Amino acid sequence: MPGPLALAIWYVGIALEIAFVVCSIARKSFFRYIFLNAYFLLALGSDAGRYFFLNKFGQASDEYRYAYFYTDALLTLALYVALISLYSRVFGELRFNKYVRFGAVLLLLGTAVFSYAVVVQSEQILATTFAYELSQNLYFVGLVLTYILWGAVLKLRETRTRLVQFILALGLYFSAYAACYALTNLSSRYSVVQYLSGAIGCLLPLAWTVTMWRYAEESRLEPARLLAVAR
Amino acid sequence: MSRKLAALALVLAILVCSMGLKTAISHGNAGSPVMIANSPAPAPIGPPPVKGK
Repeated sequence: MPGPLALAIWYVGIALEIAFVVCSIARKSFFRYIFLNAYFLLALGSDAGRYFFLNKFGQASDEYRYAYFYTDALLTLALYVALISLYSRVFGELRFNKYVRFGAVLLLLGTAVFSYAVVVQSEQILATTFAYELSQNLYFVGLVLTYILWGAVLKLRETRTRLVQFILALGLYFSAYAACYALTNLSSRYSVVQYLSGAIGCLLPLAWTVTMWRYAEESRLEPARLLAVAR
Repeated sequence: MSRKLAALALVLAILVCSMGLKTAISHGNAGSPVMIANSPAPAPIGPPPVKGK
């Protein structure tokens, strides 16, 4: 079993995931943000599955590693869908939804083909390597898409507070994980990054829960003011 | 038709940017078994099980 710190971070993360779903139900926004809720419900299901395998087989077992990486691929896919749902909300009023959906499917297919091309010549288990490669590639696609969406929010002068906060939190989350990824490649002190990675995992449910709880759907803000430089 | 072509070009550009960013961040070692995970769950010990048996 992992150490008490890693377990504590995990339990906090689970509590925050539950808190987001409960907050959306309490604020009557569950169906309005159905894909965000679906992501956290899937995350809770993944946590349950991972806990079962961790408890039964241990952290170093192949069973836990398979469970961890396959559920992670599913979660990345769910987060991608949640991100596209935010795109649909931003571009919905411009009637660009058809193009957003078309582009999202095309991008997903492109990422899948690219990932397949990378792993097809290896002598390793194709399904596992493909799931892992697709998960990582889709993650970086999500990172770039979030920054593009933030650019669109500024350009279109989007004022819906919840939407702006969701997108900012997602950008922070993706960027923090990308920094963690870079750190892992730079440093061999893996254990430090492992705790960092878990803590970053709590960031998204925390930020989204606070947003859902503090701001009503009708709240508005001026995103341009966030970029204003104090003189 | 031109809009669909523009969307296709945009998709390709995003894909290239993403993979370029991944390669840059991993210092050219984009296939390294490091973890990007989506949950605070404790990461497994060791890389994903990819070797055939």
